[in-house]
Amino acid sequence: MNVAIKLVGIFQIGRFKEAVHEYPSGTRACDIVAELRIPAPLLGVVLINDVHAGVEDVLNDGDRLCLLPFIDGG
Amino acid sequence: MKYFTSDPAAEPASVQYTRCTVDLKSGKMQMQDVPCRNLEDVLGGFGRSFQILAERNISQAYCDENPLIVNTGLLTGSSAMTGMRTYFSGYSPIKESKKGLPAAMWSTGSGNFGAKLKWTGLDELIFENRSDKPVYALISETPAGPQVELKPAEHLLGLSTHEKIMSLHKEYGNAHFAAIGQAGEQWQNVYMGAVALSTDNQLKSGDDKIRFAGRGGMGSLMGYKNLLALVAQSSDKIKPLTPEVKAVNINVVKGGGAARLQPISRGGGGGTWAAYDVLQAFHAVPLNNFRPEGNDLPEKLFRSQVEKQYVIKSEACYRCGITCHNNVHEKKEDSSAGGFLAKFDYEPLNLLGTNLGIHDAGQAARLIHLCDNYGMDSISLGVTISYILSFNERHPEQLLLNGATFGDFSRIRELVEQTALGKLPEIGHGSKRLSEKTGETSYAYHVKGLELPAYQPETNPGYAWAIAGGHMSMGTYGLLTREGKSDIDSWVEGITRTKLQIVGFDMIGLCKFFDITKGICTQMVVDCLKSELNLEVTTADLSAAVRRAFLRGLALELRQGYEKSEYTLPAEVWERPNPNIKLPNISSQEFMAELQKRVWEVFEPELGGLLPNSIHE
Repeated sequence: MNVAIKLVGIFQIGRFKEAVHEYPSGTRACDIVAELRIPAPLLGVVLINDVHAGVEDVLNDGDRLCLLPFIDGG
Repeated sequence: MKYFTSDPAAEPASVQYTRCTVDLKSGKMQMQDVPCRNLEDVLGGFGRSFQILAERNISQAYCDENPLIVNTGLLTGSSAMTGMRTYFSGYSPIKESKKGLPAAMWSTGSGNFGAKLKWTGLDELIFENRSDKPVYALISETPAGPQVELKPAEHLLGLSTHEKIMSLHKEYGNAHFAAIGQAGEQWQNVYMGAVALSTDNQLKSGDDKIRFAGRGGMGSLMGYKNLLALVAQSSDKIKPLTPEVKAVNINVVKGGGAARLQPISRGGGGGTWAAYDVLQAFHAVPLNNFRPEGNDLPEKLFRSQVEKQYVIKSEACYRCGITCHNNVHEKKEDSSAGGFLAKFDYEPLNLLGTNLGIHDAGQAARLIHLCDNYGMDSISLGVTISYILSFNERHPEQLLLNGATFGDFSRIRELVEQTALGKLPEIGHGSKRLSEKTGETSYAYHVKGLELPAYQPETNPGYAWAIAGGHMSMGTYGLLTREGKSDIDSWVEGITRTKLQIVGFDMIGLCKFFDITKGICTQMVVDCLKSELNLEVTTADLSAAVRRAFLRGLALELRQGYEKSEYTLPAEVWERPNPNIKLPNISSQEFMAELQKRVWEVFEPELGGLLPNSIHE
């Protein structure tokens, strides 16, 4: 299945902004996070098809996955 | 602090703190060892100062009876990482109820002043009345204990925050400083004066790398009292690092909540600036007075864009390993760092940049630099100016002040400068008063008289129950954006239970970046208290004390005339819903009404007995 991945902020460094990758069915968001070597403490938000989701959520063909860093005050 | 118990929750009176009450009018000093009333007193910060403020009947901020309380927290000056906080409390010149009564307020900052103050042997200063002539206070350690002296300060008048600090630095070695700028001196016309706190980096480099206690106009209150600066002179008394505190500090830097604030080069998120990228993904970066347009304009101030033109140095407060400062420098031809321009944190960068229609990093840096040196709260200043720009956009035939509009850097800079010099009370008195004069209050982005930080109110109905700075005294600003919570139960739980705990940091002397998501009710803090002070405190004790302190703040607001109808958001969020923000709508009037009902059902039964029965008239 194909998943469109969008990375935000520092996650783009050394990776990409947007890309479509192919995965076996049953792939979860956390599998892609691990594949991309995104450090767990930095991961703040997971969106699947623009809706907040959990890292354990399973993806489907054609899904859009967006990974965003944590935000902390200002 | 003097400890005659190891169980301060059960025996708070067996802990004493050293307080000096300074009568600025007569010059008299009274040094006391004061037994604590409860764990909030022991912890310090606003947990203690609000109990003192609750004993006063204050109907206007600028009066002799309104004290300025300067204190520290239990872990200020300890070897626990981030233990550098100083707290300034009083009835606020800027935050007021619709009845016109001033709200109790605290503001806090890091830098080295707090630790130095603690190391003089003093835990708290209360400045009463006002001095006839400009003075500064010298707090020093002597063999007989801490000593406080008032010194003439005419030579400091008219100097910026940085200039005052550097002038005093020439005179006093082994000292750190708190100072107001020209804005605080113009307290009649500027209610948003900040207190600047010196850093080691500043004193060594000569660059204006200052920290601020900005919110609520505590610098203006200092100015009213004719108290231009504080000097804390003492030897360093940092304890050797114990294995327990060392383990905590490592956890803070590498494994705790602060890891993501580290520089990008160290695998962190790059500080609070990273919020730009995240919020832009939802088109929720405030733009042109909190009206995101769904375009890419905010991206011009993304770090990745700014780095092309400037050098960004990651630096830290002394002894802090979090390194959250992003100091922007000019870039020389060889790409090395040139002159220091400004420190880019999310709030000032947005509210003096994108939210004013300024998308050039150099221009934003200039405005931040001016704001810091004049000594103003960047949040209140930026939001009040953005109100002016919005008014002018709506009324081209009836322009306010110099007619500035969004993006007009030279006119906006003029507004900043003129405000700081006391020439524009329309801005200096804040957005609530200004909007009441124009009659257009719906797009004045304040809650309860205090301007909002750079998180869209559409994403944070919790602002309504913040008891001091909008996001730093109610940690709900990420509940929708970060956690995706849009149901009423989650918001009631967040406001009334979990997210109010953020104020614990403003009692104990630690910076919120110690562990911003978990608060102070953690084993890390318990371990630090045991190791540093031999105090046995449980996380439940801490949680209960923080909750009481928060509720006392809420009770104090109600006593100062706030009506429940004031616990709301700027009306524009439901009068003109912004379709560009790509998040669920949780700011409708219906949602807010239900939230008000449910939140007060929890809070109200707990508000009794938190304030003194009788107060000093």
